[in-house]
Amino acid sequence: MKQQDIEDLRQLIEFLKSHGVSEFDVDRGDLKIRLKFNPQGSAPASLSDLARLLQTAPQSAAHPAGTAHAGATSGAAAAAAPAGDADAGLHMVKSPIVGTFYASPSPGASPFVGPGDHVEKGQVIGIIEAMKLMNEIESDVAGEVVKCLVSNGQAIEFGQPLFSIRQA
Amino acid sequence: MFRKVLVANRGEIALRVLNACRELGIRTVAVYSEADRNALHVRFADEAICIGPPRAADSYLNVPAVISAAEIADVEAIHPGYGLLSENANFAEVCRASNIKFIGPPPEMTRLMGEKEKARQAMKKAKVPILPGSDGILSTAEEAREWAGKVGYPVILKAKAGGGGRGMRIVRDAEDLPNLFHAAFTEAANAFGNGELYMEKFIEQPRHIEFQVLADEHGNVASLFERECSIQRRHQKLIEEAPSLQVTPKMREEVGRTLCKCLSEIGYQNAGTVEFLMDASHQLYFIEMNTRIQVEHPVTEAITGVDLVKAQLRIASGEKLDAILPTKLEIRGHAIECRINAEHPHKFTPSAGKITVFNVPGGNGIRVDTAQYAEGVVPPYYDSLIAKLIAHGVDRAEAIAKMERALSQFIVQGIDTSISLHQAIFQDAGFRAGEFDTGYVERFLAARAEAEKQPA
Repeated sequence: MKQQDIEDLRQLIEFLKSHGVSEFDVDRGDLKIRLKFNPQGSAPASLSDLARLLQTAPQSAAHPAGTAHAGATSGAAAAAAPAGDADAGLHMVKSPIVGTFYASPSPGASPFVGPGDHVEKGQVIGIIEAMKLMNEIESDVAGEVVKCLVSNGQAIEFGQPLFSIRQA
Repeated sequence: MFRKVLVANRGEIALRVLNACRELGIRTVAVYSEADRNALHVRFADEAICIGPPRAADSYLNVPAVISAAEIADVEAIHPGYGLLSENANFAEVCRASNIKFIGPPPEMTRLMGEKEKARQAMKKAKVPILPGSDGILSTAEEAREWAGKVGYPVILKAKAGGGGRGMRIVRDAEDLPNLFHAAFTEAANAFGNGELYMEKFIEQPRHIEFQVLADEHGNVASLFERECSIQRRHQKLIEEAPSLQVTPKMREEVGRTLCKCLSEIGYQNAGTVEFLMDASHQLYFIEMNTRIQVEHPVTEAITGVDLVKAQLRIASGEKLDAILPTKLEIRGHAIECRINAEHPHKFTPSAGKITVFNVPGGNGIRVDTAQYAEGVVPPYYDSLIAKLIAHGVDRAEAIAKMERALSQFIVQGIDTSISLHQAIFQDAGFRAGEFDTGYVERFLAARAEAEKQPA
């Protein structure tokens, strides 16, 4: 890679990191770049944010450069937010299926629940879309919502913690 | 070529497919159950998605979970491996409906070959020799007798609704037929509520010979020769080899040509294996076709030099066979594969648990396909295959010598394996001489049990 290309790539990486992007692919002719960042608890940017980023990203990334590979592989398709130590003693509502998480009943509507809300057992606290079907996710305990661990539109795997709840 | 492929499988075959994808520059997505969190196919994939709890039915066989994973990972194609969903026509259809390419034949082909009677008829029409039998159900013992006359003794009466060996009777003489017919009928009626019987020719001490085929999506089909898989225990293959000592070049060429013509006409696509039984006079009879890549594909890869899994990927992405295969396919040397199972070599009880030592042999002409490793865990939820050991030599004698050397260096501790059973078979004169049929293993085990009873 030419010196200028390396400098451009470094700037691109800084740019992506500061905007919380977890994964970035460019496949243009004989240039292929794949970047993956370690999740830091923050959710990846939504698709529309990424589209905006691509338009303003440095153009010189188009020089032939082979592949660049930055950051350690996280191994999970979506940035699965790991439960931290502060969550000890809290109940985790885990996903029973694979799909895409939505916090609200419909786009633009307010979320089902937020931190501090009291929920009953069986109350709908989110939706996971799988194969075009919307599946309501119910809380399996009663208590206070401490934290939503995933973001709207995030890809979810089986068993992934969605909400932490302080049982009451 | 695909940008991204999801592998809907686990264990050694998932890793095998991931490897082929990686080498072709395809991005890989693994799916796994909670029991496989630390599995190698998960470690070495570019992305991995947990799809369910340990039970296969809730994870690897869970079609919505697999398809959902494919959607969120935005893959273009799914490779189903072998077993699991690989011959599930419904799954292939769901892939098609979800705009995901299923790496295998079209669902119609899977269905056709899954219905044994239809598959037989399709082969019969194409002049592929099939096991002679009755055309459907036998209404009376008299009708059975007539058919037996045409088919030729010995014959086997089988229950249409049957399974598990019940409602079956082998008939060797015409005079025994009426009694055996009624016995089979009654047994079937009692066991399955339906006593209807059909008839097939019974092959005494058959060999199991199968032919590997590849078909592109443009009507071209090629035969990649045969494999001999007669070393089986309870219908599970233990040792496979390629080529078969029993198949002459003329037979190989004729069967290959007939199969290619037949499969091209019916519109088969991607990889497949056509299974035959061979009788004592070396006559081949079609029994069934497997519409997927098989466990024992490495022995064919060894003697032909063709990477079958890469061929599957390339076929599915639209390439033609003449771009994938060498101009002239030739057999180079002889290859043998041992299926190393996590089971007790005498009692055959499955052995799950943590592997403490895993020394894998290497060297010239030795290939090991495995997803196990030292400190790895063999979960109790899935089949017991933990490794495939393949030896390729200039001829069968050299392949045997290499295999024996490699088996002696394959050290696994922490779980039981079938390695010592394989070693014993390789020492056996009958096996070494190539004298065996599908009853070989049972006879070998019985002889071994006898020998062990003798005072030392």
